[in-house]
Amino acid sequence: MEPDLVETDKKRKRNVPIDSTLQWSQWQLLDSILPTGGFAHSFGLEAAIQARLVSGPDDLKTYIIQLLDNTGSLLLPFVYSTTLNPTLDNWQNLNGILDATLTNEVGRKASVSQGSSLMRVAAAAFTEVPSLKSMRDVSAGSGVVSFHHAPVFGLICGLVGMDSGTSQRAYMYVTMRDVISAATRLNLVGPLGASVLQHQIASVAEAMSKKWMDRPLEDACQTAPLLDTLQGCHGYLFSRLFCS
Amino acid sequence: MGSSNGESRRSSWWRMEKEMEKGKVVVEKVRGKSTVTRSFSKYPLKFIIPRKVGPSETDAVWIYSLTYGGGIVSGDSISVEFTIGDGCTAVLTTQASTKVYKSSGSKCSEQVLEARIGSGALFAVIPDPVTCFSTARYFQKQVFRVVSDSSLVIVDWFTSGRHESGEKWDFELYRSTNHIFSEGNQPVFLDTVLLEQSSPANIAERMHDYQVIAMVIIYGPKLKLVQDQVQENVKRMMSQQLHIPSTSLGHHAKTNSDNCLTRPAFIASCSVFGPKGIGVVVRIASTTTESVYRFLQHQLAGMQPLVGVPPYH
Repeated sequence: MEPDLVETDKKRKRNVPIDSTLQWSQWQLLDSILPTGGFAHSFGLEAAIQARLVSGPDDLKTYIIQLLDNTGSLLLPFVYSTTLNPTLDNWQNLNGILDATLTNEVGRKASVSQGSSLMRVAAAAFTEVPSLKSMRDVSAGSGVVSFHHAPVFGLICGLVGMDSGTSQRAYMYVTMRDVISAATRLNLVGPLGASVLQHQIASVAEAMSKKWMDRPLEDACQTAPLLDTLQGCHGYLFSRLFCS
Repeated sequence: MGSSNGESRRSSWWRMEKEMEKGKVVVEKVRGKSTVTRSFSKYPLKFIIPRKVGPSETDAVWIYSLTYGGGIVSGDSISVEFTIGDGCTAVLTTQASTKVYKSSGSKCSEQVLEARIGSGALFAVIPDPVTCFSTARYFQKQVFRVVSDSSLVIVDWFTSGRHESGEKWDFELYRSTNHIFSEGNQPVFLDTVLLEQSSPANIAERMHDYQVIAMVIIYGPKLKLVQDQVQENVKRMMSQQLHIPSTSLGHHAKTNSDNCLTRPAFIASCSVFGPKGIGVVVRIASTTTESVYRFLQHQLAGMQPLVGVPPYH
């Protein structure tokens, strides 16, 4: 082989995490096939379409970028904290704080729906981390049945051995993945166009991840009040495909 | 927020530790009537407390907050503490919209309100909107500490600027925080809205044609009827505005310009929050300030028996 090609490959191998098993867990967590019910949510996109704020691929791109910015500003601190400190106390504390922070009823219910499903799947699948199941059981036992998505996501990443940079990027990724998937089902873009769009947005998503990552909880804020207002209208839609 | 870590001090945003002399207003029952028993304000803030607003049967005290010069200048820091005693009703309002003047250097203007609301008390914060001028940088923080049977009405809203003169979403930074804590420092409502120019796009692009963003919090036992009515009204109003577009979407979509005329001029949504749905928050985006005033007038009219005069009239 060419010496350049061998060198490039060596460099890449040096970057592979020491624990390769982790990669398989990472891929599974990010795979849309994981049954967390993400496919049931449009992140306010369906309401935005019915309010005629999004009607084509250009609007869609703008919408997704604003959504990602808001996801970063509002939710990454929760992912960050539980990845860094994946203990029962921290998780329960953050769950309570996020419940008071997600003042949008539609968004709050979506978060709980996805978080609870994710916790259930992870506790069942990642058996090498017995604390997942025990934390879930303890919480359910003490009456806390609503698990919000972002803290659960960070918790699982932390317990599985992921670093916080990866877990925060991963959270942005799954949000982007799900809203684009919703866009195809809402006929805003076809599957091929969706893939093109996703790749175009990736660099923006990375920039946003960098901007909002590693922040304390007190910094959590929303940056898209118009989108928040729209998402709150989801319950008023006469006919709808999605839960949120 | 009673967070489990000591990171709050390291956060670049909070300068709460900074020593500032705070304005103070205390409302207590005196001979059975809600009365301001203490009122202190530090320049540039000034309080005007009329002897009586509304009919004598209504027990409520109205407090008007003014700033010398009619606005907040870059570098101003205004901080006030309110204590609303058990069973009292107090209304805090303004005489005109709060103007936030342009920022000099990268200085910010800031307003902080901390309020403690007692048992069976009602505190209504119903100001005119904040208007940030071009390049302004503005922070606002409002923290409300309530007990199980306190009631609150909080209207927090801002416009795109002097939009009649063409200044639309031209400020540099706007950040508004509203927190509600119940007994034992339990967080009930934690919200911060942050708008920064060119992050990601400029604000005007993100807002489309909407010129006003508003939030109305209606909380507690005294406002149950108002809450129920608002939820019903908003649902009815918005259900008419939202529908699946008749144009076909996908790669045959018409351009944006064909649809933008039919966007709702006024969008509102209601969410329930807090234990047992004790609170309702209404979020609004509107193309005109007048329509928001009308909405507030209409939706808060039910408060008249509580505060003496209907808000926003």
